[in-house]
Amino acid sequence: MMVPVRCFTCGTVVGEHWEEFDERANEGDEDPQEVLDELGVDRYCCRRMLVSHTDLVDVVSPYQ
Amino acid sequence: MSAEYDVEFVEREDRDARFLVQGITPAFANGIRRAMLADVPTMAIDTVRFVENSSVMFDEQLALRLGLVPLTTPPVGEFVEDDTVTLSIDVEGPATAYSGDLVSSDDLVQPADENVPIIDLKDGQRLEAEADAVLDRGKDHAKHQGGVAVGYRHLQRVAAVEDLPEFEEPDRRIVRGVIEEDGELVPTSEFDHDLSNRYPGQEVTLEDVPNSFVFHVETDGSFSVEELVTRAADTIESRATELENAVQL
Repeated sequence: MMVPVRCFTCGTVVGEHWEEFDERANEGDEDPQEVLDELGVDRYCCRRMLVSHTDLVDVVSPYQ
Repeated sequence: MSAEYDVEFVEREDRDARFLVQGITPAFANGIRRAMLADVPTMAIDTVRFVENSSVMFDEQLALRLGLVPLTTPPVGEFVEDDTVTLSIDVEGPATAYSGDLVSSDDLVQPADENVPIIDLKDGQRLEAEADAVLDRGKDHAKHQGGVAVGYRHLQRVAAVEDLPEFEEPDRRIVRGVIEEDGELVPTSEFDHDLSNRYPGQEVTLEDVPNSFVFHVETDGSFSVEELVTRAADTIESRATELENAVQL
């Protein structure tokens, strides 16, 4: 649904980087690795939170 | 413990630091690490009263998300456990509710990050809620954990012993953390964590420096690294005093 606020494993706040990551790496055509490095998301536990996330709010919103 | 010990910063930023502590036992180093994770009280939202929630997420899900938002923690003594600070949020769609939309009743307790999306609201949806933040410890709930990814490694001493034979293919020597080189501290990220980059063509030895620990501490924004470490040390002291009083005749 919405991006998790924190990394499941280490507890770093990752939610704040989602919108920029989505815009640059998913919508845009930048390399996800470089975007994550620039955002300062270093550990692989935090990186997978953003890389593997799919926003589903738009999918479920018609079924209120 | 009255022995002398030294602290030296290797990298220092507000929320992220690496520092060397020399002259402490492994047990004490681990005690500090654990205190930073579990025993330093931080503010986090604990109870949420929903006035209106017509978003696509359930009240409970939103309450969890609000709880995980880091809040700045006031100086020691301003609050005691059980004191509450009320934060309110009122966002009407179409818009996204962010952690920055939380309005606090106390200037000392504010969302540490303003850009955490709470919920995406569509046309006609609305989120209005009141939340109570309390002071608690990481051992009760991970949302109260002020330090994230706190750890330490031994300081490693590197010495070049001899040249490698001329035609031998050099092996990679991966090492992570901080190395000591003739008394200088060098983070391994400077040479891509590979000793064969720094000492090309040389055979090197690597040994742990006894009782020297390089801590790597990050905080979630509740307070600075210095604050976290000193508060962790204070909790150890207060528990030690408590134990001392408890066992006295």
